[in-house]
Amino acid sequence: MKAALARVGAVAGKEVKHLLRDPRILAIVLILPVVQLLLFAYAISFDVKNVPTVVLDQDNTPASRHYVQTYRSSEFFDVLGSADDLAQVDRLFDQNRVRIAVIVPSGFARSIDAGEKAQVAVLTDGSEPNSAQLARAYATALNATYGQQVLIEWADRQGLNPARAGSIEPRLRTWYNPEGRSSNFLIPGLMVVIIMIVTVQQTAVTLVREREQGTAEQMTVSPLRRGELMVGKLLPWTLLAFADMLVIAVISIWVFGLPLRGSAGFLAVSSVVFVFAALGLGLIISAVAPSLETANISGLLIAFLPAFLLSGFAFPLDSIPVPLQWLSYAFPGRYMVAITRGVFLKGAGFPELWPQLAALAGYALVVLLASSVLYRRRST
Amino acid sequence: MNADAPAVHAFGLSRSFGTNRAVDGVDLTIPEGTIFGLLGPDGAGKSTLIRMLATVLAPDTGDAMIFGNSVTRAPDQVTPWIGYMSQNFSMYPDLSVAENLNFFATLRGVGREERGRRASRLMSAMGLAEFADRRARTLSGGMKQKLMLAATLMHQPDVLLLDEPTTGVDPVSRREFWRILAALHRDGKTVLVATPYMDEAERCTHLAFLSGGRISREGSPAEIKKVVPGTLFELATLHPRAVLAELAGTPDVLSAHLYGDVVRVLWTGDGRAERELTSRLVAANLPVTAIRPARVDMEAAFAYLTESERIREVTRP
Amino acid sequence: MSLHRIRLIMWKEFLQLRRDPLLLRLIFIMPIVQLIFFGYVVSADVRNLATAIVDLDKTAISRELEADFSGSGYFTIESYPQSEPELQPLLDRGEVRVAIVIPEGTQARLDRGEIAPVGIVVDGSDSRTAAVGSSYAAQIVARMNADRITQQGLALSGPGIDARVRVLFNPSLRAVNTMIPGLVAAILMLSVMAIMSQAVVRERESGTLEQMFVTPITRGEYLIGKVTPYVLLATLQMSVVALVGIFWFRVPFHGTVIEVAAGLGLFMVTVIGLGLLVSLASHTRQQAQQTVLFIMMPMMLLSGFIFPIESMPAALVPVTYLMPLTWAVLLLRGAFVKGVGFSAIVPELAVLAIFAVVIFSVALLATRRRLSE
Repeated sequence: MKAALARVGAVAGKEVKHLLRDPRILAIVLILPVVQLLLFAYAISFDVKNVPTVVLDQDNTPASRHYVQTYRSSEFFDVLGSADDLAQVDRLFDQNRVRIAVIVPSGFARSIDAGEKAQVAVLTDGSEPNSAQLARAYATALNATYGQQVLIEWADRQGLNPARAGSIEPRLRTWYNPEGRSSNFLIPGLMVVIIMIVTVQQTAVTLVREREQGTAEQMTVSPLRRGELMVGKLLPWTLLAFADMLVIAVISIWVFGLPLRGSAGFLAVSSVVFVFAALGLGLIISAVAPSLETANISGLLIAFLPAFLLSGFAFPLDSIPVPLQWLSYAFPGRYMVAITRGVFLKGAGFPELWPQLAALAGYALVVLLASSVLYRRRST
Repeated sequence: MNADAPAVHAFGLSRSFGTNRAVDGVDLTIPEGTIFGLLGPDGAGKSTLIRMLATVLAPDTGDAMIFGNSVTRAPDQVTPWIGYMSQNFSMYPDLSVAENLNFFATLRGVGREERGRRASRLMSAMGLAEFADRRARTLSGGMKQKLMLAATLMHQPDVLLLDEPTTGVDPVSRREFWRILAALHRDGKTVLVATPYMDEAERCTHLAFLSGGRISREGSPAEIKKVVPGTLFELATLHPRAVLAELAGTPDVLSAHLYGDVVRVLWTGDGRAERELTSRLVAANLPVTAIRPARVDMEAAFAYLTESERIREVTRP
Repeated sequence: MSLHRIRLIMWKEFLQLRRDPLLLRLIFIMPIVQLIFFGYVVSADVRNLATAIVDLDKTAISRELEADFSGSGYFTIESYPQSEPELQPLLDRGEVRVAIVIPEGTQARLDRGEIAPVGIVVDGSDSRTAAVGSSYAAQIVARMNADRITQQGLALSGPGIDARVRVLFNPSLRAVNTMIPGLVAAILMLSVMAIMSQAVVRERESGTLEQMFVTPITRGEYLIGKVTPYVLLATLQMSVVALVGIFWFRVPFHGTVIEVAAGLGLFMVTVIGLGLLVSLASHTRQQAQQTVLFIMMPMMLLSGFIFPIESMPAALVPVTYLMPLTWAVLLLRGAFVKGVGFSAIVPELAVLAIFAVVIFSVALLATRRRLSE
């Protein structure tokens, strides 16, 4: 037993030395996650605001100008100016200068005075479907409200009591993220993605390098067991990745105001298990990849893409085709994203999230075993 | 340890890579306490054979027993007995000499104090002491080999499997190397060494000649040299190439080749070789400065064996 | 410039690629995998949101609400908690994302002609779902209200606004249609940079680079020969993606092949230059890989092909326009989705051309210098 510990310690110590002697890798592993967090949390969001809009007012009456004003005062629409004609509107769309155009045809005021429905056209650029969807909803809502107001004013002037048919008024409540900031949504997931990407790449090459350097043979000829080798390789990286997560979490809370409503202890434990699982995944690649280039590119496929796309970090998993949903269970990212979101935003802890933690723990064991089994000490 | 078991006993070892039969049914017995040399031309299968014995490569058929432990069925019981030095550099380039030694010794279960003691002893014996803290990648070729040997010796194995351990090492270091091997021999350790250097072959107690994956000749250096028929003569001449061209293919001349600036001739005829050769060459207008008999050394034996093996390969049905 | 020598280098590259079958398979699997991922995951339009209904009224209007919501295709009613406290754990655990709370007395209020508030609770921790989900919910309710009015025969004969909201260029609002064109550019970039830098750096590591320059080959010939196979490979990958996109995902293609080819060609030159620069800056394949990722992540996230540029803070927008990928995405979107015609994409082409010239020249000069050392 003591000998086994000594061997694991030797391997771990050696890995630490390799790391400390390659400053570039060290910088990438320590600094890159922080840089990425700062950049992305700040930059990416799904919040749509200030959408460039152009107005074509062909009526040019006080009524039409009043109508146009509602767009100007809305937070959603950023009215850049007025167009002269439809041809110009087309050009502005083609050149990507605007995403929305509001066209008020002549006769707008006349229709309203006559007690008829005035026609208005709102065009949105569908090539950015996210904002287009929201634009459609906002425009519809804005027009409904404006139309309601026009009706009431008209009824008052006529001295009528507008028929009350009763209407349902939706009262919107947003839980967990009342400010509606998508950064709160994205950052917990971003943490997971960043860690996965940076660390899995490292372990993906480690065993291949031993083979290429010829040192793998020397290890084969020693009493070092495969399991000991795997654990020894993982230990320093686990510590490093955990430190990364800690730093990222702290920055998210202090700089981005991410709330921490749940159990920090649970988060810490889950982080360690997650990191172990993710690194173990890289180790599997390492055990079977025949060359360094293959290991590197496999790392891309197995670490980068699933972390980015199948963890639920930005793209909701319940809307994707079922086979892909099954696939998402095969990667540790999705469990950890559920945990980080739950702990940070929903105030959850062990009672709610223990299934995810159990899944991660099971995953870590499986990948560790798999890499030990798949790693061939002797060439056949 | 089974007192009757030889250090290494291999039977029927075979290994192919695709269509290439690198080792073809090799039977080999290496008694304990010998320095066993493995000779053979490039591609003969020496490395493959050694790697199978070291449990690093699995044989297709056959087995080998190291002190009675099977390399195929119980490799983990074989490895404590052996030290293996590969042909390619197998240390960590970014770790220092001392760190490399320390690491592999720890894996081997050498205790901390012992590690320190043995490391300094080995490093000074090999002239590595002043390079103890140098990164392994900055060492010269010869230093790298010495580092590898030192790492192999740290756990004091009973059987050393060395694959061309002195290739690229300068002559002085090579002598030191062999002094260490001789000391190990005196201590009763067993050494299997593959080597292309004929002077090293002379220092072995037993030799085996490997060609085309098979052992074609075995014995002590003296026995092998006896295999060479005829007598060896050295001709000094001002036109060695022309002499060589003239003599090659002549009856009674089994082989002729250049050796530095002299021509070595293997003469199988009767009669006085000196007179016959000189007259032949004078007739061809190629005066001979001197001609004298030479001892058959391993170089000549090797050349002869390689040549006859090659002929046998070519004429094999 | 000897064509023969160039062909020789190309031949060697292909041979080396062939000897590593796993790598070769990866090269072809990568774009397919990315297509599947991006095609199905990133562009997954929000639908079938797990919904809960807390019905405290239990009247006809409750049933109508339930029918309209579940019939819309956007919401799937999963559970019926009896009270709000019962609802809480469902949302906490993420079992439902949306909840409709119908308070007691809703039907009564409606019958009296009053406004009846109905609660729509959305899980804000998933803000995309929340935003889209709540807007769908609002639309469904608005339609319900309008139906009620016509059902009750109350014609609103007063004025109002008849707003026609039309979506240009991508009327189905399928995200795939805009994602795939961007993906073509992204794949080109990732592929060329990753694979090429690995290959070039591998040669450096193994020392065969030195060997090469003892031969008569010139640096220019070496570069061309080295780079061409990867260009061919990348072109193949891109075509696969474009074809799968058009024929499998049915992404409309409104532009012309020439426009697209021109834009992609310029972009490719830029990307090759970047790949070369990465190779020069890296001593090991490890470092090359890290560097490629380091460059790719920001480019992919900030170029606007996944996350809209409008949503980025104003300070960052200029930065995104400094990235070649952003312009390639704009051009491709213009060609695929908008069919805007040559004059509209001239600015993108011009910018791409500038990038290509600048980056490639820098790479070329740096490579020549480094190879001469």
